[in-house]
Amino acid sequence: MRRGIPIMRRVPLGLLSCVAVIVFWQVLSGRAFVNPALLPPPSRVAPAVWNIVASGSIIEPLTQTLGLLAVGYGVGCVLAIGLGLLMGFNRHVYNVFEPLVELLRTIPKPALVPPLFLFLGIGAATKITIVALAAFFPVLINTVQGVRGVDPVLLNTARTFRRSTLSTIAEVVLPAALPMILTGMRVSLGLALTLVVLAEMLIGSTGVGFLILDLQRSFAITDMLAWVFILGVIGVSLNAAFETIEHAAVPWRSK
Amino acid sequence: MTVANDRTYVADSVVPSSKPAPAVSPGTLSHAGGWALVAALLLIWEVSARSGLVNSQSWPAFSQVLSATALTLYSGELTGVLASTAMRMLAGFAIGGGLGVVLGLLVGTIPILHRLLSPLFEAVRPLPIPAIVPPLILFLGIGDELKIFVVSLAVMFPVLVNTTGGIRSIDGVLMQTAKTFRKGAAYTLLFVTLPAALPAILAGLRISLSLALVTTIVAEMIAGSGGVGYYLIVTQYGMQPDKMYAAVLCLAALGYALNRGFTFLEDRLIAWDRRGDVSA
Repeated sequence: MRRGIPIMRRVPLGLLSCVAVIVFWQVLSGRAFVNPALLPPPSRVAPAVWNIVASGSIIEPLTQTLGLLAVGYGVGCVLAIGLGLLMGFNRHVYNVFEPLVELLRTIPKPALVPPLFLFLGIGAATKITIVALAAFFPVLINTVQGVRGVDPVLLNTARTFRRSTLSTIAEVVLPAALPMILTGMRVSLGLALTLVVLAEMLIGSTGVGFLILDLQRSFAITDMLAWVFILGVIGVSLNAAFETIEHAAVPWRSK
Repeated sequence: MTVANDRTYVADSVVPSSKPAPAVSPGTLSHAGGWALVAALLLIWEVSARSGLVNSQSWPAFSQVLSATALTLYSGELTGVLASTAMRMLAGFAIGGGLGVVLGLLVGTIPILHRLLSPLFEAVRPLPIPAIVPPLILFLGIGDELKIFVVSLAVMFPVLVNTTGGIRSIDGVLMQTAKTFRKGAAYTLLFVTLPAALPAILAGLRISLSLALVTTIVAEMIAGSGGVGYYLIVTQYGMQPDKMYAAVLCLAALGYALNRGFTFLEDRLIAWDRRGDVSA
């Protein structure tokens, strides 16, 4: 399994396939059998993207969406790592929380949007809660597994050196479990982005998710596709940023 | 483990402690405290609703939710809705999973395809599913076609990425042995590559299964015309919280059953792959 740097090496050839798709799309939408109103060609979507960026109208929806994402994701991850460390480290805590976790994590998270809506209303609280919930479980499960998978020799060594529980967790357990935790966090990031967009579509009247659905309903297809494209760029950048951080944080993991 | 977006899962299937932690073993004494906690929370729910401490308009007692569940399941109201969701989900899972495995086999075994296509996949994959629903509505309407298409798309990528990753991390000695024995390409693919990559493929499919359920609900919520996703929205706006919670409850049960069912199959199919035991 090769990770990391080879991405750079793959790009030129890979760029070809991306370009091919765009050309295909351009050619396709000029044909009679595709309604150009439904599928505007890239040559019309690109200027729309440019307009959104240049006019500054990108700022408000984007800060809205990314802000919700950051807060929800942050809260979810911190809580999950905290509980995960406890559950992984202490058998009793694990036994007490495991059934509850097993029951709750089987609920598909989008299904919780309507109930939360009833409780927390149409404000930011609902969206942040749903994003935090979506981020919580993958990180929790991975943290628990990561902590339980720590080599016992490491723990015994720490004990031999009379490390306190706290310093053992901070200096031994956390670094050893970090690769697993980061794996969970990466999965959560994708989920969190999905949930924030969904929540914006279903409730409230701001953010990129709301805009996309709203533009579709008012049949402003070119602008809608421009926003979908922007969201795609966000997704790719978040992923890439996360990978960079992951490499920096656990350099020993990439061979 | 839940939903995916990633190459991570390749690592997942290779790193030892990777299978999901063995699920709860109900009845074991060590978990008594855990079940007591669950019971206590349910009790608090019941009492808080009955005593009127919490606004009972949107907070039905747990017992009311249970009776609503039984009632809607028995009358067929919720049963039909669940069945239609499950059908769409399984159709999308089958199509997307099949495509993912086939494409993954191609991309994994033909290096030039890998170099050509993987950046394209990387570029498309991080797009959040809800965002592609509105554009697709224009072409596919809000019926079954839309939902099955979206689910297939969501399912395809993790399976594809896992299949490719599984194949690319196969021990080189295996492939060389096949070559030494002058096995044909088709034989090698079927009897060497496929079994060797099977754990990774199945891990991808398992992740995709829960993703399929999530995606079906998302699509039903946005392009409402039926199914549990739509039912949830309708009962929420219609202020029928007992029915809404009943649907959530059934979805959780469905998700749990699907996951357990798949894990069961997986253990039978790759019984030789004991790596999952390490994490226990």
